[in-house]
Amino acid sequence: MSQSLELPSYLEKEPAVEDRFRRIYQRPVVLDVAGLGKTFHAANGVVEALRDIHFKVHRREFICVIGPSGCGKSTLIRILAGLDYPTSGAVKLDGHEVSGPGPDRGMVFQNYTLFPWLTVKRNVMFGPRMKGHQYRVSEAEARKWIKMVGLDRFENSYPNQLSGGMKQRVAIARTLANQPRIVLMDEPFGALDAQTRAQMQAYLQQIWLNVDVTILFITHDLDEAIYLADRIVVLDAHPGRIAEIIEVPLPQPRTPEDFISPKFLATRKRLDTLIHPPKMNDEDRLPMVKMTEPGDDVI
Amino acid sequence: MNRRPSWLAIREPLSPRKATALKLASFLLPLLIWSIVSYVPFIWHPMILITSAGDSDLFVKGERFTRELFASENVGLVKDGLKPGEGYRVNPVFLPAPHEVLKAFFVAFKTPPYSKGDPWLHQSLWHSIQIIMWGFFSSAILGVPMGILAGTFDAFSKLFEPFIDFIRYMPAPAFGALCVALLGIDDGPKIAIIWIGTFFQMVLVVANTTRLLDVGLLEAAQTLGASRRRLVINVILPGILPNLYNDMRILLGWAWTYLIVAELIGASSGISWFINQQGKHFHFDNVFAGIMMIGIIGLICDQFLALFSTYLFPWLPNRRGTSMMTVVAGAFLFFPQRYLWQRGRDKAAKRAERQSSGSIAAKPASVATKPFPASIHEASAGGAIADVSIT
Ligand SMILES: Nc1ncnc2c1ncn2[C@@H]1O[C@H](COP(=O)(O)OP(=O)(O)OP(=O)(O)O)[C@@H](O)[C@H]1O
Ligand SMILES: [Mg+2]
Repeated sequence: MSQSLELPSYLEKEPAVEDRFRRIYQRPVVLDVAGLGKTFHAANGVVEALRDIHFKVHRREFICVIGPSGCGKSTLIRILAGLDYPTSGAVKLDGHEVSGPGPDRGMVFQNYTLFPWLTVKRNVMFGPRMKGHQYRVSEAEARKWIKMVGLDRFENSYPNQLSGGMKQRVAIARTLANQPRIVLMDEPFGALDAQTRAQMQAYLQQIWLNVDVTILFITHDLDEAIYLADRIVVLDAHPGRIAEIIEVPLPQPRTPEDFISPKFLATRKRLDTLIHPPKMNDEDRLPMVKMTEPGDDVI
Repeated sequence: MNRRPSWLAIREPLSPRKATALKLASFLLPLLIWSIVSYVPFIWHPMILITSAGDSDLFVKGERFTRELFASENVGLVKDGLKPGEGYRVNPVFLPAPHEVLKAFFVAFKTPPYSKGDPWLHQSLWHSIQIIMWGFFSSAILGVPMGILAGTFDAFSKLFEPFIDFIRYMPAPAFGALCVALLGIDDGPKIAIIWIGTFFQMVLVVANTTRLLDVGLLEAAQTLGASRRRLVINVILPGILPNLYNDMRILLGWAWTYLIVAELIGASSGISWFINQQGKHFHFDNVFAGIMMIGIIGLICDQFLALFSTYLFPWLPNRRGTSMMTVVAGAFLFFPQRYLWQRGRDKAAKRAERQSSGSIAAKPASVATKPFPASIHEASAGGAIADVSIT
């Protein structure tokens, strides 16, 4: 970004976008995170991972959570999923406090966690089967979702026969087959290469547009967050707390062209300053000794 | 780019051909050393087998004496003007030559027992296998569920493991006298020893295998709505099954180790009884054959289970390369067949030669015949062929 480029404020929105946010806030609240705090008592001392996290997720909203590494993003999503417990505050799903994991909150993990002994179809059938659905019913259900993620040719393959992107699509189908109230995703595309990642973002966007889901998505990729999210929850580190909740000032659905629109760049710049410290501190500087010959300087 | 892989590439699989060659060599090299020591004279051969005792009071025809004793006795005899003993250099009786063992391998099955009513070799073997199976299965029936419980629930782990950790350091044979007192002298104490030898290890090994299951899978299943019972049945059990199967393979090997001690407790029986009996009568060719039989049964069992696992667990990544089983099978099948086939061709050629007065008819056959010696190279090709056809 050159200095001379004049960017609009990321807070300014077109009337249509303003209107959309107004409508979002009128929808019922699916997930209500109130005063959440988490302190780990580890062997090497006490770590306060999260402090006083407040936000609400509305129906059909796409929320991204970003923040520097170690700020507690995974801790937050694990608490939302019920895999971990908060030390203070509460999580409410549709007004009911959650305690423990359940099929109403689907989770997609970074490392896929597909069951290696089950075929793609059986993996996707897992949720419906756990609900007690008949085999035939679950199978039909699974087929529907496998088709949705474009893997019908692979329904009888085992996970280790699939590429990373395909595995993650199976994981998404497996979660959706349960028709959860909210889908929680912890850096689901973090292990994928850039091209697959872009493709997966497009897939996820299509799914979100066409399926009745609410998504909470963790990432450390700023562009990914702006491309996908209605709102971005930015976390600060040590302890993890909310720095700002940003309403992305771009109309949905976004296209790859939006990546260079002024509003996108303005939002991106704001996220940059929130996440990265504005200037290099003296303690961040490495103790460098010049080790090059005089003619070899890079600049 | 055509990179030729090195024989000693770090953590890289060899080409199937090289792998098969080495696997064969791992059997052939010891055999070669054994053959050299047995057949090449003056490599070792520290004894003299007496062919004629001469005038000596000491020598007995057909017995072995050390070279030093033989020499000094003969010097004495010659000095006294007596006829010295005669003999030739041999290895000690406890090291029979390969061909003797190979012969014993087949003869031992056809040789009746020393005293009437004693079991034949195949009966002894079958008895041993039964003891193993009873001991092993009775310990698995209890040990596997206990291990899975201990690996799944911390409560069971804390309840079972400290005491088991304590017992497992007691050598199973130490319980021999106790087992005989409790269970009599027949098969009871033998099965018990194998049970003691495998059960406690099994609980710990299975518990550990269960703990190694990726927690992520359990968490994923929970977010998909699996109840606690479902987690155990639909995630933990199938998740650990391949490793559990492997554990059982290894533990079955341990059971064979305990067998030998177990069979000597109380009234000795089975293959160990056979080996002991033959040792007492100085039939070391039979002793070797007996020991090798255990090895071969163990190897075949193990390799069969390994082969079977690829059918049981189709989701596991294909472990490429020839299994030991196919190499051995390939070698066994390949050598004699080729040999017989070759002999057949030779005979047919000879017959043809004899029948036709002119030598025209015989010529193509004799041209086609190659001398037999199948190198490791050819044999490895045989192994590879067997591998393809089996897997
Ligand atoms: N089980 C635990 N015991 C002790 N400390 C923990 C535990 N889990 C997480 N922490 C600490 O909590 C903080 C937040 O960890 P968390 O994994 O949630 O970060 P994150 O934002 O997901 O990081 P990343 O972007 O690298 O995935 C870290 O300082 C970590 O050391
Ligand atoms: Mg994380």
